[in-house]
Amino acid sequence: MISEPTLLLLSIFVPLSAALVLFFGRSVGNAGVRLIAAIGFMVPAVIAVYLWMGFEGADKSHMGYAFMGAWDTGLRDSVGITLLLGLNGISMPLYLLAGIVGLAAGIHAMYSQAERLHLYMALLLVMQSGLMGVFSSIDIFFFYFFHELALIPTFIMIGIWGGEGRRVAAMEMTVYLTLGAMLSLLGLIAIYGQTGWDTNYGFSLIGLQEYLSQHPIGDVASDNIFALLLFGFGILVSLFPFHSWAPRGYAAAPTANAMLHAGVLKKFGLYGLVQIAVPLVPQGAIIWNDWIVWLALGNIVIIGFVTIAQRDLKLMIGYSSVMHMGYIFLGIATMSVVGIGGAVMLMFAHGLSVALMFVLATAVFNRTGTYDMKAIGGLGPKAPVLAAFFVAASMASIGLPGFANFWGEFTVFIALWENHAWAVAPAVFGVVISAIYGLRAASNIFFGPQSDEFKQVSSHREIGDITLAERAPATILLLTLGVIGLWPMGISQSIESAVTDQAVFEQAPIDLKNSASLDAPEETTVLQIAEEASANEQGDQPL
Amino acid sequence: MDFLNLFNLLLAVPLISAAIIGLFFRRGGYVAAGISLTAAFIIACLAFMVLFDWNGTTLSGPEYSYTWMQFGDFQIDIGYYFTYETATMLAVVAFVGFFIHMFSVGYMDDDKDKGRFFAGLSIFMFSMLGIVLSSNLFMIFIFWELVGFSSYMLIAHYWDKDYAAAASKKAFIVNRIGDFGFLVGIVWAYYYYGTVDFAEMNALIASGDKHAETGIGLLLMCGFLGKSAQFPLQVWLTDAMAGPTPVSALIHAATMVAAGVYFMVHVFFLLTPDVLKVIVWICAAMAMLAGFWALGQNDIKKSLAYSTLSHLGYMGTALGLGFPGLAIMHMAMHACFKATLFLCSGSVIHACHHEQDMFKMGGLWKKMPITGWAFLLAALSISAFPFTAGFFSKDTIISAAFGVGAETGDRSYFAIWIIVLVAALTTSLYMGRMFFVVFMGKPNSEKAEHAKESSLWMTVPLVVLGWILSVGAGWFVWDIKWADGEMNGIIPADTAVFMMEGYGEAMSNAEDHGHPIHHGYGGGWDAAHHVVKETGFGLLLEFASFVAMLAGFVFTFYYYGLGPKSDRLQTTMPIIYKMLERHGWFDDVYDWYVVNVQQRFANLLSVLDQFLISGLLVRGTAGVAGLFGMVSRSLHVGNIHGYVYWFLAGVIIFGAFALGVLK
Amino acid sequence: MTIELNDYLFVSGLLFAIGFFGVLLRRNTLVIYMCLELMLNAVNLALVAFSRFHNSMDGNLFVFFIISVAAAEVAVGLAIIVALYRKRQTVMVEELAELRN
Repeated sequence: MISEPTLLLLSIFVPLSAALVLFFGRSVGNAGVRLIAAIGFMVPAVIAVYLWMGFEGADKSHMGYAFMGAWDTGLRDSVGITLLLGLNGISMPLYLLAGIVGLAAGIHAMYSQAERLHLYMALLLVMQSGLMGVFSSIDIFFFYFFHELALIPTFIMIGIWGGEGRRVAAMEMTVYLTLGAMLSLLGLIAIYGQTGWDTNYGFSLIGLQEYLSQHPIGDVASDNIFALLLFGFGILVSLFPFHSWAPRGYAAAPTANAMLHAGVLKKFGLYGLVQIAVPLVPQGAIIWNDWIVWLALGNIVIIGFVTIAQRDLKLMIGYSSVMHMGYIFLGIATMSVVGIGGAVMLMFAHGLSVALMFVLATAVFNRTGTYDMKAIGGLGPKAPVLAAFFVAASMASIGLPGFANFWGEFTVFIALWENHAWAVAPAVFGVVISAIYGLRAASNIFFGPQSDEFKQVSSHREIGDITLAERAPATILLLTLGVIGLWPMGISQSIESAVTDQAVFEQAPIDLKNSASLDAPEETTVLQIAEEASANEQGDQPL
Repeated sequence: MDFLNLFNLLLAVPLISAAIIGLFFRRGGYVAAGISLTAAFIIACLAFMVLFDWNGTTLSGPEYSYTWMQFGDFQIDIGYYFTYETATMLAVVAFVGFFIHMFSVGYMDDDKDKGRFFAGLSIFMFSMLGIVLSSNLFMIFIFWELVGFSSYMLIAHYWDKDYAAAASKKAFIVNRIGDFGFLVGIVWAYYYYGTVDFAEMNALIASGDKHAETGIGLLLMCGFLGKSAQFPLQVWLTDAMAGPTPVSALIHAATMVAAGVYFMVHVFFLLTPDVLKVIVWICAAMAMLAGFWALGQNDIKKSLAYSTLSHLGYMGTALGLGFPGLAIMHMAMHACFKATLFLCSGSVIHACHHEQDMFKMGGLWKKMPITGWAFLLAALSISAFPFTAGFFSKDTIISAAFGVGAETGDRSYFAIWIIVLVAALTTSLYMGRMFFVVFMGKPNSEKAEHAKESSLWMTVPLVVLGWILSVGAGWFVWDIKWADGEMNGIIPADTAVFMMEGYGEAMSNAEDHGHPIHHGYGGGWDAAHHVVKETGFGLLLEFASFVAMLAGFVFTFYYYGLGPKSDRLQTTMPIIYKMLERHGWFDDVYDWYVVNVQQRFANLLSVLDQFLISGLLVRGTAGVAGLFGMVSRSLHVGNIHGYVYWFLAGVIIFGAFALGVLK
Repeated sequence: MTIELNDYLFVSGLLFAIGFFGVLLRRNTLVIYMCLELMLNAVNLALVAFSRFHNSMDGNLFVFFIISVAAAEVAVGLAIIVALYRKRQTVMVEELAELRN
C-alpha cells in the first residue's frame, strides 16, 4: 500500500504528468486524450475521497496535520522552503472539494466540443494539479506557487476558448488577479520576515505558527501585514469593491475553467485568510474587523441587488457567486469557532453549487443558444430532468436546507450575532435577495410559456433533455451537496476539530468584544500608532 | 416499537417514498401514485400507533435527539418534542394527509406528470411532519424552509402556465421575507436563552431565570405571518391556488398554512402580551377583510382561499386572545371542513373539466350528490352551524373575544369581538353564495351539463372528511370516552386534550409566564368557556353568532338566487365588487413595488457597478497605464539611429550625474 | 621627436570619433558595423599605449580580450547581416524599421 503522504504527492503529479503527456500528445486522437485526461482527473478525486474517509482516524499529532510528508527541493537550508504536504481539518474539505469539482469539470470538458481538445485538457489538468497542491501544501511558498500554477492556465484558456468579450474580461481578470496575488505574496513574505527569516522554523504554516505563538507580531506590523493579506486575498476572492473582474471573467471563460476557478481556485484567498491571516495575525484581523464586515455586507446587499438586475444567466451566476463570498467573509470576520467553521462549510458548499450552476447554464445554452433569460421560457416541459437539476441547484445555492450551503449560511448568521449583532439583519436579508434572483432564473428559463425567440429556436431544432455527458458532472456535484446537506458532520467534524484546536478562535471573539468597547474615540489612533511603534521597535521588524 | 423509532420512521417513510419516485418512477404514473399513497397510509398508521401508545408524558430531551451538526458549543439537533399539541397536529397531518393523497389519485388521473406531483406530496409530508415533531427552533426552521420548497414545487405543477410560474415564485419569496424575521428572531433567541430547545426555553422562563422578550416574539411572529399568510404577507396564498386542487386542500388550507399557528402555539411561552396584542389585531382584521374579499371572486378556489385567510385569522385571534388550545382546536376543525370544501371544489372542477368559474357551473346538486352533501355539511360547519365541528371552535373564539374584554376591562377587545362577529357573517355570506351558485339551479355551461359524480377515489375522502369529520370532529367537548378512554367523541382522546385544556397545569402559574390572567386556565376550550361564562352573557353571545350565520345564508339565498349566470353584485354595484375583487389593491402595490422599486433599484446599482467600479476604477487604472504605454511607445521609432541618439542622451545624463553637474 | 602618450591618445580619439560619427551617420549596416570595429580598435590603441607608458601588462590583457570578443562578434554579426540581406535584399537601416509598431 502506498503511504498517505505519497498519495498527496501523487494527486499533484499525476494530473501534471497527464498534462505533460497531452501537451505533446497531438497524435493520440480524441479518445486517447479522453483516456489520459480521465486518469489525470480520476486519480486526485479518488485519493481525495480516500483520504477524507481515513481522515477521522488519522494521526494528527503535528498541530492537527495528518498525512504529513516532506520533500527537500534544495531550498530548505538556504531559505527554509520545503515541499511539505499534509492536511488539517480545514484543508481536508477543500482538498476534497478540489478533487470532486476537478473530476466534474474534467468530465464536462472531455465531452465538450472544444477545439484542440488535447491542449484544452492539458491546461485543465495543470489547473487541477495546482489546485490539489494549494490545499495540501503546508509550506506557504508552495501554497502560493501552486496557486500561480493553477492561475496561469485560466488566463490562457479564457484567451483561447473564451466566449463573448473575452479579451476585455481576460485583461481585467489578469490585472486584478496579478495585483491581488502580488499583494498577498508581499504579506506572506512580510510574515516570514517577522521570524527574521529563521530557516529552523521555515516558511511553513506549522513553523510560523510555532514561532509567532511565542513572539506575537506587534500592532503596527499586524495592521500593515493584515491589510496586505486582506486586500490581496480579498481581490482574489472578489471582495467588494474589487469584484468586477469575477462575473465578466466567468461569463467569458469556458465552462470547465469557470467551474474550477469559481468553484475551487477562488477559495485560495479565503483559505489563506482562514488558515494564515487570521490565526497568524489575529491583532490585525481585529483592527480590520469592521472593514471586513462592511465590505462583506457590500458583497451581500449591493451585489445582491446587482444580481437581481442581471438578464444574462452566466453573469447572474457570476454575481451570485460574488454575493455569496460576502457570507464567507462575515464568517471570517467573527473570528470565532462557530463563524470560521461556518465559513469553511460555506466555502465547500459554494464551490460545489457554483460549479453545478455553470454546468447547467451551459446545458441550457446548448439547448437554447442564448444566455439571455428573458429570451427562453418554457424549457421545463421539454427538458424536465434538466429543469429538476436546475431547480435543485438554485435551491442549493440560495441556501435551502437539505443542501450543504444551508449549514454554512445558517452557522455564519448564528456566529455573527456575538460581536456584530447589527449586521445579522442585513446579512439575513441576503437570503431574501438570493431567493428573488434564484427563483426568477428558474422560472424565466424553465417555467411559463415559451418566449417568441425561443419558439423560433425550438422550431428548427430538436431540444432534448440533459445528456449523459452533462448529467454525470451535475450528478456528482449535486449528490455531494445533498450528502453533506443531510450529513453535515461529514465535513463539519474535521473542521470543528481543526478550528477548536486553534486557541486564537476562542480568544479572538473576546478580544474583539473588548476592542469594540475600548476604542470608541478613534481620534488618537495616529498618536497611538506612533507610540506603539517606538515601544515595539525592538520586537517589530520594519516592513 | 419505542417512540424514537416511530418518529424516525415517520420522517423516513415519506422521504424514502419521494426518493424512490424521484429516482425511478419519474414517468411512473400510477406506480408513483401508489408509492406515495402507500407512504401516506403508513404514516397514518404510524401516527395512530403513536397516539394510542402514548400515555401523556411529554417526550423530549437528549434521548429523543441526535446531533446533526456541531461547532464548539453550538449544535444543531434533530430532535423530537412530543406533547399534547404535537399529538393533535400529528393526527391532523397524518389523517387528512392520507385522505387527500387518496383524493389526488382520482383527481390527477388525466395528468401526465404524476411522478413529479406525488414526489412533491411526499416531500411535503416529510417536511410537514418534521415541523410537527421538531424539538427546537433550528430544526423547525429547517423544515419550515422545506415545506416552503415543497409548496413552491407543487404550486408550479402546471409549469407551462404563466400564472403558475409567477405564483410559485411569489409564494416562495414572500415566505422568505417572513423567514427573514423568523431567522433573525431565532439567532436572537439562541443568544438570549442560550438554547433553542422548546422544553429548555420553557423551563427557563417558568423558573423565572429568563423572561419572554417582545422583540424575539415579534420576529418569530414574522415567520407565522409569512407561512400563515397574514397581513402584510397574505398576498401569496390566493395566487397559490394555481396549483392542483389537492395541493390547495392539503398545503394551502389544512396543514402548511396552519403550521404557522402551530408554531406560535409551540412558542407561546415566548410571546409577551404586547406581541399577543399585535397578533390579535392583525389576525382579527384579516378574518373580516378576507371574508369580504371572498365575495369578490368568481373562481371557486380563489374564493375558498380567502376563506382560508379569514379562518387563519380566526386562529390567530384565538392565539392573540391567549387561548393557544382554542387556536389549535380551530386549526384541527378547519383542517377537516376546509379540506372538504377544497376537495369538493376539486371534485366539481374535475367533473367540469377544469372549469373554475362558479358562474359557469350551477345545478350540480343532482348530478353530484355525494359531493353536494359533503359541501353542504362542510359549509354549515365552517359557518358554525350549531353542533357541527366549526361551531365548537369558531363560536367559542368569537364569544371569547367578548369574554376577555369583560374580564380584563380592556374595551378594545369588544372591538375585536365585533370584527370577528362580522367575519362570521361574511363566512356564511360567501359560503351561501358558493353553495347556491354552484349546486343549485340549472347548469350554466356545457361543461356543467355533462358533469358526473366523481370516482370512489375522490368520494371516499369526501365522505370521511365531509360527512363525518366536518360534522362530528368537535363532539369531544362533551367528553364521550370509549375504547378504554383512547377515543373521545370521534377522535383519539390524546388529540383532544390540548384543545380542551391547553397547557393545563403547566401554565396555571400565570405570574411566571408574564401573561395576563386568563392564561391561568391553560388557554384551551375549557378556559375560553370559563371566561365566557363569567361574563354572564353566554347564551346571548351564542345567539348573536347564530343570527349572524343565519342572516348570511338567508341574504345570499335571496340576493344571488339559485344557480345564477352572473354575480348580481358585479352587475349592480361594479365599484364595490371591484374593490372586493382587487382585495384592497395589495397585489397591485406588490407588483408596483417589484417592477418600479426593486427592479429599478437593482438596475441602478447594476449600472453604478458597471460604470463606477468596473468602468471608472478598473478601466481608469487601465487607462493610466495605457497612457504611459502610449507615451513610451512613441519613443520607439524603430530606427537604429534613433536608438543611438537616445543612448547618447543617456550617456550624457549619466556622465553629467557622475561629474556632479546635476545635483 | 619622440612620440608621447598624448600622440597615441590623439590618434585613438580621432579613430573613435571617425567610428562614432560613422555609426551615427552611415546608413549601410555593413559600414556601421565596420565603424563599430573602428571604435573598438581605437580603444585598443589607447589601452596598449597606456600599458606601454605605465609599464604594466594590464592594458594588454584587456586588448587580448577585446580582440577575441570582437572576432567572435564579427563572426556572428556578419552572419546576421548576410542573413538579413538574403531575406530583405537590403541592409539599409531606414528600411529595417520592423520594431516600430
